[in-house]
Amino acid sequence: MLKLEHLTKVYAALPSEYAGGIRDANIDLAPGTFFTLLGPSGCGKTTTLRCIAGLETPDTGRITVDGRPLFDSDRGISVPLHRRNIGMVFQSYAIWPHMSVFENVSFPMRVSKTQRYSTAEIAKAVDEALESVGLGGYAKRSATQLSGGQQQRVALARAIVHRPKLLLLDEPLSNLDAALREDMRTELKRLQRELGVTAVYVTHDQSEALAMSDTIAVIAKGRMMQVGSPRDIYFRPANEFVASFIGHTNILRGRIDGSAGTVALDGGGTLRCRTEGEVGPDVAISIRPEDIALAKKAAPANGDGMNVLPGVVTSASFLGNVVHYEIKAGSGSSTFRVEGEPAMPFDTGAEVVMSFRPEDTLAVPRS
Amino acid sequence: MEARLSVLTPSATVERKGISQTSLLALIIGVIIAVLVLPPAIILVVRSVAITSADATVGGFTLEHFARFIRNPELLHTLSNSLIFAVCSTIIGLLFGGSLAWLVERTNTRFKGLAYVTTIISMGTPYILYVSAWLFLLGRSGPFNDLYRQITGGFRPLFDPYSLGGMILIEGFLWSPLVFLLMSSTFRAANAEMEEAARMSGATVFRTIWTISIKMAKPSILALALFVFIRAIEAFEVPVLVGMPGKVNVLTTEVYQSIKETIPPDLGYASAYSVVLLAVVAVLLHFYGRLSRNAGRYSTVTGKGYRPRQFDLGGYRWIGDFLVLFNFCIVLLLPLLALLWLSLLPYMRAVSFAAIGNFSLHNYAVVLTSDYYRTLAMNTLTVGAVAATLGMILSFFVGWLSARRRPGGQILDQLATVPLVFPGVVMGVAFLMILLNVPLPIYGTIWALIIAYVVRYLPYGLRYTYTGVLQIHKELEEAAGASGATPLQALRRIIAPLLSPAIISGWLFIFLIATKELAVAVLLAGPSSQVVAVGMYDLWVNGQGGELAAFGLIWATIMALVASIFYFVAEKSGRGGLR
Repeated sequence: MLKLEHLTKVYAALPSEYAGGIRDANIDLAPGTFFTLLGPSGCGKTTTLRCIAGLETPDTGRITVDGRPLFDSDRGISVPLHRRNIGMVFQSYAIWPHMSVFENVSFPMRVSKTQRYSTAEIAKAVDEALESVGLGGYAKRSATQLSGGQQQRVALARAIVHRPKLLLLDEPLSNLDAALREDMRTELKRLQRELGVTAVYVTHDQSEALAMSDTIAVIAKGRMMQVGSPRDIYFRPANEFVASFIGHTNILRGRIDGSAGTVALDGGGTLRCRTEGEVGPDVAISIRPEDIALAKKAAPANGDGMNVLPGVVTSASFLGNVVHYEIKAGSGSSTFRVEGEPAMPFDTGAEVVMSFRPEDTLAVPRS
Repeated sequence: MEARLSVLTPSATVERKGISQTSLLALIIGVIIAVLVLPPAIILVVRSVAITSADATVGGFTLEHFARFIRNPELLHTLSNSLIFAVCSTIIGLLFGGSLAWLVERTNTRFKGLAYVTTIISMGTPYILYVSAWLFLLGRSGPFNDLYRQITGGFRPLFDPYSLGGMILIEGFLWSPLVFLLMSSTFRAANAEMEEAARMSGATVFRTIWTISIKMAKPSILALALFVFIRAIEAFEVPVLVGMPGKVNVLTTEVYQSIKETIPPDLGYASAYSVVLLAVVAVLLHFYGRLSRNAGRYSTVTGKGYRPRQFDLGGYRWIGDFLVLFNFCIVLLLPLLALLWLSLLPYMRAVSFAAIGNFSLHNYAVVLTSDYYRTLAMNTLTVGAVAATLGMILSFFVGWLSARRRPGGQILDQLATVPLVFPGVVMGVAFLMILLNVPLPIYGTIWALIIAYVVRYLPYGLRYTYTGVLQIHKELEEAAGASGATPLQALRRIIAPLLSPAIISGWLFIFLIATKELAVAVLLAGPSSQVVAVGMYDLWVNGQGGELAAFGLIWATIMALVASIFYFVAEKSGRGGLR
């Protein structure tokens, strides 16, 4: 459906210096995929989206939608954005304040070059689009009378009214308050399924990405670090950046020993670990806070083959269902974040032992 | 929900990189602007080094004009006059207008409404009307000198306005309304929390003003000072009405005299002079550009629509009240009364009780029934409206192309800003020479004025549309593109409607200054294309003060109406000032 090949668009003062943009992005999406570009701000995810939309011209590479080339630097093809037949929802919603809701939503059909629509067709399509985003009966409203959430829905209706094959969404939920964001999340996902449209979604919010996507691309400093399903990315992060960006984790540095499956920590001590694919001798080790069990120092280690690290509790915050601990590991200076059971609390200053399974101790390439 | 609509089939055509709609637009607008803007500069430079034959063709090149310019024994005198005039009137205008703005915006001074009324009315009133009213008031037989003579019993007047001092005073007060307007938006935008923080730290009111308020406004004050200084160097009305009769020459009157009062017009010398003036203004504008880029550095506009807390002047409040009332009297009330007095008398006469017996409405009757005045008014309104419309159309496209950084936008912006370096007289001289040399029947028609005004005011219109486009979120435009609209469709259906407040403000601004313009008009207006400012100038020179006053009052009333519309449109669209 959507295919990016070696897509590059770099803003750089010096060739070696990264100042925004995307380098060598490759994607091939099946129709109907909910695809998310995820990364910290300034990583190049919005640039990628804007290249697909036609708002930016890539330096090199190829963009194909449904077999139709939209951009190809080798063949000198660059379809102007208004001929790309793409629906887009902007971060600011971009609802035109001088038009009514109806005029906003009907705009793509009224300016269409490929097809002339009758007034009745337009009215029907606008009605359906508004109905599907839950704004039936709002057509006559002035755009300035809408709340943030309603503007968001109008923007969505406008993006889908002409049935595009590809829907682009640029951080559409970032301007909504938390409660509304949760609602819109489910609704967006439902709408995308019903329409069967391929969606490209840009966000910096990892929980949003995990909850909504079929496929996620994690981007950092203009590079696609990993492309995969939410589970892949959470449980099998390709490198240190992905591991620490998705969910919370504790990162330690170390070197893989000669014998497979053991790592010598930079701060001293050894851990048994799991690896995915090829990793160099210098690795980062990721251990999720929820995988660590705490015990009193005096208590015996529970079971064989577990990794064990002693430490001291430096802070404990009670959050109701869990207790968040910060624990200073005995050997090094690294601080661990651990989620403990509220039923068995430890006080600040308590000496504890952290234990976790080798399967949950993941060695990944450093980044 | 699943009912399928007619699905758009993606067009099979594949776009190759070619000339886009936007580039074509930039090219067309660029050619138009280049044709309008470049010839005046080119012709001045060419003529300044050309030997002009009897049939007005170029017959060789020479540096003689520049040599004469330098050999002129009066040159140093003229230069120093220009400099003193510009520096001193800038100081007066800035001190007076600036302190007024601060008092009105940031203190509990009373009668604030009067300051705004004064300013709005002054925006529409031709300078020449002001200058003649003040000249009457301050003249040898005017009420002030009269009063002085009666008190002292002597014959010597207290002062003579036809002097450098008089010029400075009049020019300074002429500028104070604009300074007031621009400074009041600076003071309004200032974040009062900065001052409150100083007060909370224990600073006194005066220390706060000195160390915080003034220091924070300093970049904009400096930029404004240079702006007024440039305008004063280019000033025409006061030098020609006050300076020339008093034999005080400045650079602009020197140019004017070599064209208008030399037979045949000394075009080469005028061109050499103009080129020098252009160079001076260009250098000054360069520094102004740097200063005004800095002016926004400290601006901390909160945009929360709250009004900054006002300083309590306490026991000194009467000083503020006095200054506001003084401004109202000097800039509005007294000139109006002087005009009213003049308009009711058959001939110019000093203020006395005896004269009241001669009051008549004769001047008003003449003005309202004569074809001459009707033609003046119609010509002026037509020229102003057409020039404003054409100017804003060009500004609209250039503003969009450059604010959105389209290809060519940067060059277009610079081209359209070139006319800023032309003082009015110089622009007049340049167009005079162009129109005498093109085989089009434009010279002496109102089209000569319209074209010159479009060029002269293009930079002003451009500031309105440029900042207007910057304020329109870019995504509003991109959304139109993503919806399938071409760039021109997006311009027409999204940008144009959203930009309309800025376009209307810019239109009214150009209309207001075009209808006041004297320097260009006095050189380009033919017998059938006379405009109000030129007509008023002739009336004053011919001593027809009564008709001038009657006509002036009627005209000022109409223009005050336009000015108040402008003020409210500009306020509503969030632009307090008119830069």
